[in-house]
Amino acid sequence: MQSSYNSHVKRIAAGLIVAAVVGFLFTKLLTPESFGVYGHYRADAISEEADREIRHWTNTPCFSCHAYEANLHKNGLHKSISCEFCHGPYTDHVRDGKKIGALPVRKGDDIKTLCLRCHNQAIQARPAKVIKTVTMPEHLFKQRVRLTHLCNQCHHVHAPLKYIKRANEIVGMLEGN
Amino acid sequence: MAKAESKLDRERRVFIKKVLEGTVAGSLLLVLPMGADGQKIPEQIPGMRDEKYRIAEQKFAFIVDITRCIGCGSCCVADKREFRVPDGHYRTWVERYLKDFDDNVYVDSPNGGLDGYQKPRVDIDVKVRDTFFVPKLCNMCKEAPCVQVCPVGATFTTPDGFVLVDRKHCVGCAYCLQACPYSVRFLNPKSRVAEKCTWCYHRVRKGLLPACVHVCPTGARKFGSLKDENSEVYKILHGPGVLTVLKKEMGTWPALYYKGARREVV
Repeated sequence: MQSSYNSHVKRIAAGLIVAAVVGFLFTKLLTPESFGVYGHYRADAISEEADREIRHWTNTPCFSCHAYEANLHKNGLHKSISCEFCHGPYTDHVRDGKKIGALPVRKGDDIKTLCLRCHNQAIQARPAKVIKTVTMPEHLFKQRVRLTHLCNQCHHVHAPLKYIKRANEIVGMLEGN
Repeated sequence: MAKAESKLDRERRVFIKKVLEGTVAGSLLLVLPMGADGQKIPEQIPGMRDEKYRIAEQKFAFIVDITRCIGCGSCCVADKREFRVPDGHYRTWVERYLKDFDDNVYVDSPNGGLDGYQKPRVDIDVKVRDTFFVPKLCNMCKEAPCVQVCPVGATFTTPDGFVLVDRKHCVGCAYCLQACPYSVRFLNPKSRVAEKCTWCYHRVRKGLLPACVHVCPTGARKFGSLKDENSEVYKILHGPGVLTVLKKEMGTWPALYYKGARREVV
């Protein structure tokens, strides 16, 4: 069969049209729905990220049940410390208004490690105007207590100076040595 | 015949009941975005729980005050718990800088500061001229290199200025990990997608401060809206104090500012 003088042009044109249609269909099928609403990305990803589970619920829900600790904590020097830092995230404790697990209460040497995370004077990088630091075991020597003493035997963990202030009141001593 | 009709009726009743329940539950979800318990949390960023969030009109800033950081690592712990970050990877971390009198700089960050800094540096024997902690996190660049290099559009800057990762769209090529000048990204070993600090976008959108800001006991980390003239960050950014950004010469225009950062901080 003899081809007409412009059949090659027609074939190329038909091929281009088919390629364009197939390409168009594929882009339609493969591009996610919300792609390009705000830019070159899937706009739904924003709301997906915003719907992530909140695990730290601030101090307010903690205080609503633990009133005794709340009162101590709010009036103590440690009021800027979050409950969840020492005890773990709220969502491990309560879910849908029901208790699902117990959060740890730090005890023993764990307490000492936790206190010295902030109050260790050996770490020089700590600005003195921000935090009161002590050297261990010199602090224990100075206070004339046994070297096995844990921090929370004198300092209440929620209100560090509570007992010390009270003791000073009773003894009638001036505050702070 | 009557039997069949009654069955149909019952089905219709069940259907209507379900629809009604769905509508009520749906509208309740809109009113209470975090469930009933969510109402217990007071709003930490004012105006975020208003009826309509205008995404394109928002602007946020993060300020890290190095002169107040005590290196306790609360932020790192909170961050790890909030996002269940796999071991060995860090969305945020705290570095300890040490300068001697010969201008040598020594930086360390044992376990990213997760366990705090329990011991002073013993591996170097120099006279300390200056030493301080530097918390690191995503800089939320306006011209983010990680967004520019992503081949599939899985990393993007939201209209409110957050650089986020589309977890479903990311192919895990790790190009963004190389592009980030601040090394804040990592590949999640489980899901094999890129992960990074989001400034707790999910919390911010619900009016809560990022987890690290919330737990910081000294206020070294500050976060707030720049559209709110009463916010702390607005006041700091409009005040005379010196704020710096990391790697300014790279032209990334971070929204993370440092207060009290020495020139050695990179």
